[in-house]
Amino acid sequence: MRRLALACAAALLLASSLLAAAAFARTHGKTPPRLTVFAAASLTDVFPKIARESYSFEGSNALATQIEQGLPADVFASANTTLPEQLYKQGYVTKPVDFTANRLVIVVGHGNPLGIKGPASLEAIKGVKIVMAAAGVPVGDYTRTVLARLHMSNLVDRAVSQETDVREVLSKVVLGEADAGFVYATDAKSVAGQVSVVRISPHAQPRVVYAAAAVRTSSHLAAAKAWVRSLLSRRAQKKLRAYGFLPLPR
Amino acid sequence: MSRRVLGGVAVFAAAAVALAFLLLPIVAIFARVSPGTLVGQLSSPVVTDALVLSLKTGAVAQGLVLLVGTPAAYLLATRRFPGRSLAVVLVELPLVLPPAVAGIGLIAAFGRFGLLGGTLSALGIRVGLTWTAVVMAVAFVSGPFYVRQAIAAFEAVDADLVAASRTLGAGRARTFFRVYLPLARRGLAAGESLAFARGLGEFGATIMFAGSLQGVTQTLPLAIYQEFDVFPHGFTTALAMSALLVVVSGALLVALKVTLQWQPSERTSRFLFAPSS
Repeated sequence: MRRLALACAAALLLASSLLAAAAFARTHGKTPPRLTVFAAASLTDVFPKIARESYSFEGSNALATQIEQGLPADVFASANTTLPEQLYKQGYVTKPVDFTANRLVIVVGHGNPLGIKGPASLEAIKGVKIVMAAAGVPVGDYTRTVLARLHMSNLVDRAVSQETDVREVLSKVVLGEADAGFVYATDAKSVAGQVSVVRISPHAQPRVVYAAAAVRTSSHLAAAKAWVRSLLSRRAQKKLRAYGFLPLPR
Repeated sequence: MSRRVLGGVAVFAAAAVALAFLLLPIVAIFARVSPGTLVGQLSSPVVTDALVLSLKTGAVAQGLVLLVGTPAAYLLATRRFPGRSLAVVLVELPLVLPPAVAGIGLIAAFGRFGLLGGTLSALGIRVGLTWTAVVMAVAFVSGPFYVRQAIAAFEAVDADLVAASRTLGAGRARTFFRVYLPLARRGLAAGESLAFARGLGEFGATIMFAGSLQGVTQTLPLAIYQEFDVFPHGFTTALAMSALLVVVSGALLVALKVTLQWQPSERTSRFLFAPSS
């Protein structure tokens, strides 16, 4: 009995390592290389539709730290322009290219059960559970800009959770754990039917511009640079538009 | 070179590689920045808030684990009933569950739209994204470490001593407190330190079910994760908190080893050793 179990375990181990080896061979045998793209969490749905690459979607700031700490990436696509600019000045990436834009909305429970009409309702209705991204995460910084413009910065302290990327904010509202969350319009669109959207007036909107750059240490630097440029192609821009991203502001 | 020597070299080489691989990341945490910087970072409010929260939620969670887990383990260790083995397996299941699965499970059970969500909402209770959620996550992932060890500890208690206690007229309760608990205490302590250490490191289930808010739900591992995201200077703070957790976890492990090796005197004499004079 014991020997049988041992044999089973050994077989399982062998099978899994063989599978891993096969997967490894497949990804490393072919040309052209599949690029490793570190991209903002809000690009989760659209980027795989633009190109088949190896993606890592997270808060742009986490990705910037990873690039600074030397994790192997070929391309960095950020939900703001400041992080790529900082990395560019420090010599980690090539000159960033702005490639799309977005805007902020408030997502609330499906059907808006609490009757939230705008940011002001969040302050007026008692006990609303608000989630937002932490400061430093692009969407978290944009949220703070919006609230500052509306003279509602005190709302930051009422957040019940400070999330590490926009998708975490979104999921907390989708799951009903929070009542309202600050996300990009594109994220709200990705779960249409599961949440309701409350608009934020244009005068409070921050300038949400996405920028991408090739990582200098990439072993496929030329391909990475070309990939960044291709984000401005008509095809890529059409895809971005289809997912609700906005053309670059003038 | 003889075969034996070669074999010996191979074994030593493997051991050296294993040790280096396991040790290097831990050494690196302390080697990246100066000890002064590490200690300096520990006074930042993010760190102190996270430390206090980790200790508080850990204490409450472990209190619950001891309170509920001890009778459960006692029952499973001393009674034979149909489905007992299944119950033991189920109690131990969270040990091998990925924390992310635990997080999803907690949301699916206690979340607003979860199995008990409607009932809890009707009572005006929302546990998601609260302090309570942290305690639940920690108790869920760490409890089995204690219960498992406690079952083994109670099972190891000499049945003759239990029988003697019962025939001498002690009731079940008295036998539990005067025979079972004292004899199983080392096992219980060992299980509890393991559970505490595991609870201190709890990350996945917490961030999914409890969210992350400084001073409310952001425990040390969550603070490390969040500080890592703070570009460009958070990495150092994350290193400092990691160093702190290495020290605390290391201390717990040493305490555990000492607990397990320490042999209580079986003599009735008050002296461990006979006086030499």
